[in-house]
Amino acid sequence: MPVDPVVAQTTVETLGSLLGLGELSPLEDFVLSFVVAGGIVTFLLTLVAVSGIWGKRKITAAFTDRIAVNRIGPFGLLIIVADAVRLLSKELIIPEGVDRPAWDIAPFVMVASALLGFAVIPMGSGIQLADPEVGLAYVFAVASIASVGLIMAGYSSNNKYSLLGGLRAVAQNLAYEIPLILTAASVVIFAGTLQMSGIVEAQRAALVDLGGFGIKSWYAFVNPFAFLLFMAANLAEVGRNPFDIPEAPTEIVAGWQTEYSSVYFVLAYLSEFIHIFLGGAIITTIFLGGPTSPIVGLEILPGFVWFVIKILAVYLFTQWMRSAIPRVRIDQLIEIGWKGMLVLSFANLLLTAVIVGLIA
Amino acid sequence: MSLERPERPESGDLVGVTEDGIDYEALEELLGDLVIGRESHVNAEAFVVRPDEVATALGTLRNEAGFDHLSCVTAQEYEDRFESIYHLRKYDEATHEVGLVVPTSKDDPRSQSGNSVFRTADWHEREAYDLVGIQYDEHPDLRRILLPETWQGHPLGLDYNPEKPQIVTLREHANPLQEDHRRGENSDTMFVNIGPHHPATHGVLHLKTTLDGEQVADVEPDIGYLHRCEEQMCQQSTYRHQIMPYPDRWDYISAGILNEWAYARAAEDMADIEVPEYAQVIRTMSAELCRIAAHLLAVGTFALDVYGDFTAIFMYSTRDREVVQNILEDLTGQRLMFNYLRLGGVAWDLPEPREEFFEKTRDFLDELPGRLEEYHDMITSNEIFQMRCVNTGVLSPEKARSYGATGPVARGSGIDYDLRRDDPYGYYDELDWDVITEDGCDNYSRVLVRMREVEESAKIIEQCVNLLEDWPEEERTIQANVPRTLKPDPDTEIYRSVEAAKGELGIYMRSDGTDKPARFKIRSPCFSNLQTLPEMSEGEYVPDLIASLGSLDIVLGEVDR
Repeated sequence: MPVDPVVAQTTVETLGSLLGLGELSPLEDFVLSFVVAGGIVTFLLTLVAVSGIWGKRKITAAFTDRIAVNRIGPFGLLIIVADAVRLLSKELIIPEGVDRPAWDIAPFVMVASALLGFAVIPMGSGIQLADPEVGLAYVFAVASIASVGLIMAGYSSNNKYSLLGGLRAVAQNLAYEIPLILTAASVVIFAGTLQMSGIVEAQRAALVDLGGFGIKSWYAFVNPFAFLLFMAANLAEVGRNPFDIPEAPTEIVAGWQTEYSSVYFVLAYLSEFIHIFLGGAIITTIFLGGPTSPIVGLEILPGFVWFVIKILAVYLFTQWMRSAIPRVRIDQLIEIGWKGMLVLSFANLLLTAVIVGLIA
Repeated sequence: MSLERPERPESGDLVGVTEDGIDYEALEELLGDLVIGRESHVNAEAFVVRPDEVATALGTLRNEAGFDHLSCVTAQEYEDRFESIYHLRKYDEATHEVGLVVPTSKDDPRSQSGNSVFRTADWHEREAYDLVGIQYDEHPDLRRILLPETWQGHPLGLDYNPEKPQIVTLREHANPLQEDHRRGENSDTMFVNIGPHHPATHGVLHLKTTLDGEQVADVEPDIGYLHRCEEQMCQQSTYRHQIMPYPDRWDYISAGILNEWAYARAAEDMADIEVPEYAQVIRTMSAELCRIAAHLLAVGTFALDVYGDFTAIFMYSTRDREVVQNILEDLTGQRLMFNYLRLGGVAWDLPEPREEFFEKTRDFLDELPGRLEEYHDMITSNEIFQMRCVNTGVLSPEKARSYGATGPVARGSGIDYDLRRDDPYGYYDELDWDVITEDGCDNYSRVLVRMREVEESAKIIEQCVNLLEDWPEEERTIQANVPRTLKPDPDTEIYRSVEAAKGELGIYMRSDGTDKPARFKIRSPCFSNLQTLPEMSEGEYVPDLIASLGSLDIVLGEVDR
């Protein structure tokens, strides 16, 4: 059911009209974009701080029969502050023989690539920095830049574990990016647009009507197979079990992160989590109806809250996998990627195209 | 060097086998001219052979008489000579033992290496060279193994001066960071040090690994980082009380009582001490509790190696192990270094009120099957886990025998060898339990063996608890009469072993008439088992190397002693 491209108002324009600026001049546009982007980044950092430093420990603890942080502040929440101070006040150790500019730039590249992706994600309640017509292609394009950061980090660290980790990361990203994009393409066939707001819009209609309360036609319901495929490929993309091979602490210490300490470590860690959230945001947008409630007529919570709930659910899923599923070996991973996922995702794309072609 | 197992004659054709043991006369005849003398050790007869005929003698005993297990090589220095003792026994019949004593002169302590017959001699002889100073001809790689390569002197030699400072400049040590391609400058391989500080080496183990891409081209374990002179400390301690605390520190992964039993058994046999039956039952029960605790940790950490970071299985096994630890704490007063066994018995009786102790133990045993079910759900029946572990780290039975592998490692390769049954001690032969073997020879089999052994241990504990509960109060003797000072006759020699958590833990002791042993040698199962790592992992991927290492379940405290 292709829908017409929606010309949605981006947040910058909304903000402009709220301030009574009318048509924005380039300078005003730039400044306001900066403000909104700052807001989004702040939100993401908060999310990472809460879920990465505190939530991750609590979740893993719940899975493994432990209690985890509970000493500092209510529910141990102030550990976030304590950890932030701890990590930032540590010495930044620069090993001898690292390839300086590359080694320094790598963490920034990784963080930036993940953050850039959020520019086009509709977060509900009218929050969306930009809504280009090629939104989905843009997200995958910028998210892939992280691979460059990974190989820079691995190669420039002058550490064999880092090198192995960097190579593994790139091999893994290559093997799983294609199934990821192909599966997303099957959604594009349904929606008929690459524009993020358009894809969300296409999932608004009710799939099944249950006496006034209709379950919405999220693509996760319309094509569950593609959804599962995408979730699995996404686990590899963000490097979580069973595909946490680039880091594999028991094998190659910490992979490409091995030589990073202090602020750079924070950045590396941050990029990991923002990538998980970006993965969650993409899944939310293209499979879970974006910032909408799952049932027609139950729009009690604001869209933004729905959006946060959904990406946290995806995050929870990655943590669950991490606690419960063994890691596959590097050759098995590549085999699953090229021989299994790729074939399945092509099959999915073809079938979707045929079905959509027949119906439409 | 031949790793091929020769055609083994049917056990009926083996030289020297009689109805009730070994006919040493026949063996002497078999060795013929090689024998230049004969010694009587408490555990077995020993033949003195010429130092240049060691390999021939070992080969003859293996091929003709079926002694296919070189369990230990002990080296020691006398006033007038050096001596290496090869303790041989059979995998099929552990009570058949024989020793080969190889004397060498003081001025030129050289003897032939046994490496061409038994691969396990490699490391054992390196240790003998390192600590005592005997040179082994034809040894492929005679370097120090426990001490740094720059060490001066041989610490267990008689003329060693421990006061002399070991001043070695940093420059003289091999630089761990230097480029090392092992296979030439232009090769495609990469040398990488896994350890001594690495998340998966289970302690301070250093694996010098050569990688070809992600595949292991060559791996060489470098041990000795945790060497604490345990043998020397035991040689400076009295038999009666001072040695017993040390065994707890070898395999410190809650296997303390199993280790103590190794010493207790050797010393009791040496001094002819009869242990009361009641104490034997308590020993058996507490030892099996230790085995459960040790195996649970082994399974948990192996899961950690295969799964990734902190995983549910590791914490679950720690949780269950905690229950065992609490029971052991009630019994011994300690959680880590039990020091519970005494020569001739145990330190004290079961804790009062006894009913409470029995109930606690029974509760644990009742819950155990459910827990194991959970582990099987999460580990052994997990498909990804099977993908990772089945057919990786393969150790063929022939290689396992040649390397002297014992314990779950041998039993995972289908070798039916368990000293609790084959060389009975304690109360084991009165109880109903089975020896577990698996034929897979891979990482998966070794884990499965451990998990199934936990069930068997639980069976043993249950029977012990039943026995102890009904034991008449007046017959609860926990300690035999042992003299305050123990002075075995001069020149008594004994090699005795027990089935510890990781395999055959043996002790060799020689007395010189004083209250301290003149030589105290520990045969560590982990030491021999670790030697098989290169065989298992060469040609496999790095993750499999790590998994194989985990499945060997080594404790560096015991490897390095």
